[in-house]
Amino acid sequence: MRCIGKTERVNNAPIVAEQLVRHFGEVKAVDGINLTVNQGEIFGFLGPNGAGKSTAVRMLTTLLRPTSGTARVAGFDVVKQADDVRRNIGVALQDAAIDPLMTGFELLELQAVLYGIPANKMKQRADDLLERVGLTAAADRRVGTYSGGMRRRLDLALSLIHQPVVLFLDEPTTGLDPMSRLTLWEEVRRLNREGTTVMLTTQYLEEADQLADRIAIIDHGRIVREGKPADLKRTVGDPTLLINVSRAQTDSAKTVLARFGELRPTAEGTLGVGLKGGAERVAEVVRALDEAKIVVEHLELSQPSLDDVFAEATGHRLEGAENAPQAG
Amino acid sequence: MTTTVQPSTDALISSTQRTIGILAKRSIRNIRRLPSAFFPALAMPIFNMIVFAGTFFAVTKIPGFPTDRSINWYMPLGIMMGAAFGGVGLGFTAIRDIETGFYDRLRMTPTSRLSLVLGPLTGTLVRIVMMTTIVIVLGVALGARFTGGVLGVLCLYIAALGLATIGAGWGLGLAFRFQDMRGAAVMQLSIFLVMFLSSAQVPLNVMTGWLHTVARVNPATNILRLARVGLVDVGNPDHLSWNAVWGGLVAIGVMAGLTLTFAVRSLHRLND
Repeated sequence: MRCIGKTERVNNAPIVAEQLVRHFGEVKAVDGINLTVNQGEIFGFLGPNGAGKSTAVRMLTTLLRPTSGTARVAGFDVVKQADDVRRNIGVALQDAAIDPLMTGFELLELQAVLYGIPANKMKQRADDLLERVGLTAAADRRVGTYSGGMRRRLDLALSLIHQPVVLFLDEPTTGLDPMSRLTLWEEVRRLNREGTTVMLTTQYLEEADQLADRIAIIDHGRIVREGKPADLKRTVGDPTLLINVSRAQTDSAKTVLARFGELRPTAEGTLGVGLKGGAERVAEVVRALDEAKIVVEHLELSQPSLDDVFAEATGHRLEGAENAPQAG
Repeated sequence: MTTTVQPSTDALISSTQRTIGILAKRSIRNIRRLPSAFFPALAMPIFNMIVFAGTFFAVTKIPGFPTDRSINWYMPLGIMMGAAFGGVGLGFTAIRDIETGFYDRLRMTPTSRLSLVLGPLTGTLVRIVMMTTIVIVLGVALGARFTGGVLGVLCLYIAALGLATIGAGWGLGLAFRFQDMRGAAVMQLSIFLVMFLSSAQVPLNVMTGWLHTVARVNPATNILRLARVGLVDVGNPDHLSWNAVWGGLVAIGVMAGLTLTFAVRSLHRLND
């Protein structure tokens, strides 16, 4: 990791947080998180809206002072060495904060000056980045005329102007169409292959699953699970059998399902059970439901997902996860 | 691997100048791209000058009034109102940038916080020079006379730029404290109070009671005196002397220092 700084840095991990806390009045937005992101990782921060993801990222990117606890990014303390942290990170925030009156090139020029990139290197760097994110043709258009996907790609280019060693992406694909999501994912993977450590927050299960080497699940300001997606899914164990029955038969269906495993939280109107023995026992469940004269409207066996991990850890499903646009 | 970079003083100054320059450029470019934000700021001082000079022309008949041309009195007032509101207008822009998240982008860079204040301020001052020039040309066409010559014109520019700087510091400070449109109401109200509780409408010597007391200690009175020094009081031996201008210069220096410090400190507090 090639970090640039004016002060001495400690610890080699690009991101380290210890007992990080942030209160807003009585609200504990982040409630004591411990986190280590290793060199060259894509680390996913998964959680619903209001879980504390963005607040944590704002602290790690020096925008918000922690109420207590410490964090080091690129080896520098986010409070005491904030300028050194800023020199080494790139950040694309949730809402692609871009002045709509400026053109793509003007924004890159502004960003380059703010990072102290010499004038003789600025034009080439801006042109390279515009080409990289596929915006060369739109470089001289005002950003107000860009589509959502173009704005996100420009936001990514802006965050890369100074070649950061750590990249923060706060919900980078929220609101994007499936094609734009795929394009952005590919670019994130490419950056990571080139050595950039990436921390991304997302509320999309698929995004965390596809992109992240490791993830942390955050809920109510606390990290409730952390690890590789595959390992986390294995901890949930059995696949989930999901069924839909009429409202009148819900209670009796629950009684039947409980004989085959532990009932799991699901979306409203659906019942779920962790099916011990897996697919081989589906027929047995169907027979038991039939014997209890329960009419099954829909039945589906779902392999453990990050949503199951989330549900198992928090007791509820990730709100909105089902509505994430499908990609890939 | 850590690369420790210790830039030279020259490099730091150059970097600061570039930052101020590009942020000023953004502000100036928006005159063309967002004319709806600039033209009202130009129309207001012209409107004030014409309406006040026309409506209150009889004010010159008051014994002791320092000019026989009402436009000589009200043209500087129009410019100063425009400068004050143009200055606090920077606070409005900052609120917009905070609300859209653009300010976060600026704050996440390692550039100095002072540059983030001075850059947009420089852009605002360029706008104020444009506004002042246009109003002066129009005022002269409508009968205003600079009896103090070039020095008098210079004093008016200094007063306008000084008041705009004070307004900008105040506006930015409030924007950073409130971070939303609540700050805008405080900006407007405070500018109205400061301007109208001064010698804006009539000279100090014709004011009485509490209004006279407040206007006498109001720094805006001294700045307005500086603004008008080339247009009024021709018969006074102190006309355009150091005696007539130092109060305004000190008021600008002190108030600009205070409000810009308020802005930079408030910017640092955005992290809280």
